[in-house]
Amino acid sequence: MIARETVVSHESRATVLLVEDEQEIRRFVRTALHSEHYRVLEAGAIRDGLVTAGNEKPDLVILDLGLPDGDGVQFMHDFRHWSPVPVLVLSARSAEKEKIAALDAGADDYLTKPFAVGELLARVRALLRRGQQLQVVPEAHLSFSDVSVDMARRVVTRHAEPVHLTPIEYRLLVLLVTNAGKVMTHRHLLREIWGAGQADNSHYLRVYVGHLRQKLEKDPAQPQHILTETAVGYRFVF
Amino acid sequence: MVTGLMAGIRLHAIGVTMQLPLDHNAHPVLRYAGAVLTACLCAILCLPLLGRLDLANILMLFLLAVAITAAGFGRGPGILAACLSVVLFDFLFVEPRFSLAVHDGQYVVTFVVMLLVAILISHLSSLLREQLHEAQYREQRTRILYECARHFAGAMTRTQIDETLHTCLSESVHASRVAVYLPDEQENLVFADSVNRAAPSVPEKLVIQTTYASGQKQEISEFAADGFRTVYLPLRGATRMRGVLVLDLPANREDHADDRQYFLEALSSLLATALERLHFVAVAQAAELGMQSERLRGSILSSISHDIRTPLTVLCGLADTLQLTQPELSAETRDIAESLRAQAFRLHGMVDNLLDMARLQSGKVQLKREWQPLEEVVGASIHVLGNALSSRVVQVNIPSDLPLVQFDAVLMERVFCNLLENAAKYSPQDSTITLAAAVQGDAVEISISNAGDGFPADAIRDLLDVFSRGQQESPVQGFGIGLSICRSIIEAHGGRICLVNPQEGGARVVFTLPLGMPPTIEPENVLPGLPT
Repeated sequence: MIARETVVSHESRATVLLVEDEQEIRRFVRTALHSEHYRVLEAGAIRDGLVTAGNEKPDLVILDLGLPDGDGVQFMHDFRHWSPVPVLVLSARSAEKEKIAALDAGADDYLTKPFAVGELLARVRALLRRGQQLQVVPEAHLSFSDVSVDMARRVVTRHAEPVHLTPIEYRLLVLLVTNAGKVMTHRHLLREIWGAGQADNSHYLRVYVGHLRQKLEKDPAQPQHILTETAVGYRFVF
Repeated sequence: MVTGLMAGIRLHAIGVTMQLPLDHNAHPVLRYAGAVLTACLCAILCLPLLGRLDLANILMLFLLAVAITAAGFGRGPGILAACLSVVLFDFLFVEPRFSLAVHDGQYVVTFVVMLLVAILISHLSSLLREQLHEAQYREQRTRILYECARHFAGAMTRTQIDETLHTCLSESVHASRVAVYLPDEQENLVFADSVNRAAPSVPEKLVIQTTYASGQKQEISEFAADGFRTVYLPLRGATRMRGVLVLDLPANREDHADDRQYFLEALSSLLATALERLHFVAVAQAAELGMQSERLRGSILSSISHDIRTPLTVLCGLADTLQLTQPELSAETRDIAESLRAQAFRLHGMVDNLLDMARLQSGKVQLKREWQPLEEVVGASIHVLGNALSSRVVQVNIPSDLPLVQFDAVLMERVFCNLLENAAKYSPQDSTITLAAAVQGDAVEISISNAGDGFPADAIRDLLDVFSRGQQESPVQGFGIGLSICRSIIEAHGGRICLVNPQEGGARVVFTLPLGMPPTIEPENVLPGLPT
């Protein structure tokens, strides 16, 4: 609990850039972010957003995908050239293609409209934490539930018993765990693990994720850590 | 009469035209009379010249008359004129005059030559005449075909084609009946429509259908009036049979039978091409229309969904943030904010359902089918539902060796969310919802059961239809289209869905998804020395 408090107080100085053209949505997102004591910058279009991001160096960007001067994917392409800052995308439902395009272009997470404010704040917290972690040397040892992953010794244990993983399963797990909180698209994962030629064989990925869940999750059908983002990809949460 | 004949003869004498002389078609008696008259006239005209001209030259004049007669009146009159000329020449000019006796034997040669010339000329001219006639006949047919082709090419409707066909066929082959029978979409010939008002008799229908099926021309006289016979011509298009052309033709016209055959074949292939073109024009128009309405529907749906979702997002968000405002709200206001939020989210759920239904009902949903484990989409659905399941426990029984299934993950998540949400809505708190899957034959059978009161027995069949709900006034609110959406999605995947009330109580939704041939995944060995 104490640790959580310090994190919050640390994050409270964080600056969030909100790129959204709908006044009313901006208003409640701003109110919500203020309630957590973030500093909020606002932009109504891609151009403004990029300028503000360049000048103010925000710690997080919240990006709407439908903007008057282009879609958010364009913003992502430009933004990722010079900034690794986490980006949370707001998108309409049934817009999987745009979502995936934005994530492939470097966005970290997405929220489907309409969203609960609590959910938004949780994602913002997670992404800010992730942004901070990007700047420190990653830890070689991670653990979640009763599983621990020692990346230095390449050992995975559950209930202190070693878990037998195949090389692909291990690489997949490490990739997910080191990108915790970020939505990893199918295409991205396939490219990282199987190479560029396998982008269409998403069933491979699904089968291996299934194996990981069976070996590491308490109930593989209701996973707590390796979550499915339907039609988009996977997200690991601690 | 005589002047007419003379006109015909004069044309030939001048030799400026090869036009068919009227006298050739004249009655034989008239033609023979013409021959006699020509010979006599020649003799009368030559009489005053006797003594001034040599006999040989007078003979030449007679030869000329014979040649004209042969060319103008045909073979018989030509020979008659030759014989008569010989007799007249002998009688009137050759010594002894006014007697048929011949002193000089050389005149026999003259007579024979005259006869041969007459025969030769008449033969040649009749040959020429036949060829001319043939050429004219062909020219007329070609012109008619050309006219037909021109009209067919410009025709935009079936009626225009029919009119052209009628004009052309009654003019060229004197057809007393012209009918075209075309197939409908199911490949059945239509016998009575706006163009063919009277349907043919049943036996004739059979003949027409045989022609259509076999693609062979048929010719019979049973169904035609006396003196006519019926020709059934298949209309063969480039890709398939386009119909049958039925003609009643005069039976006695046996001349040019081959020509007529070629003509009719050429005409029917022109007709088939024209009909084919009309067909493809119609197909293209329908496709264009379909695309336009599809595009329109798509843009309306997406603009509606955007226009409705934006204020809904704002509403949900504002209601949510109300609770975060400082200073803290009173308990009562807080309740109001909470209820505002809940209603806004509910409204959003309904809008989602309605838009989904509209999209599915339009019948053009593109399934993005991928091979995937069922477990994954189940897990995602339970995760999405989150609080909506509140205190109910979902027990998932999916065997770990269940093969991959091919489905659209987004739509299937919708199915599971709807079914699980329903199962939760109509079951008591803290009860268990069971989700089980198993292979049944060539499909995966998935069942979702709850511990509620079950479906109302009398409405179990209607429940899957749009906008029906189990109870008229349900204590639990919902929109009733959730199940219909599920059915649409499952049927689009080639599966089936049914509702049952199992004996042990509760309600159960069972649906299937076809199994197919999942792709193989090569097993990967656990290599020694790698993570264990």
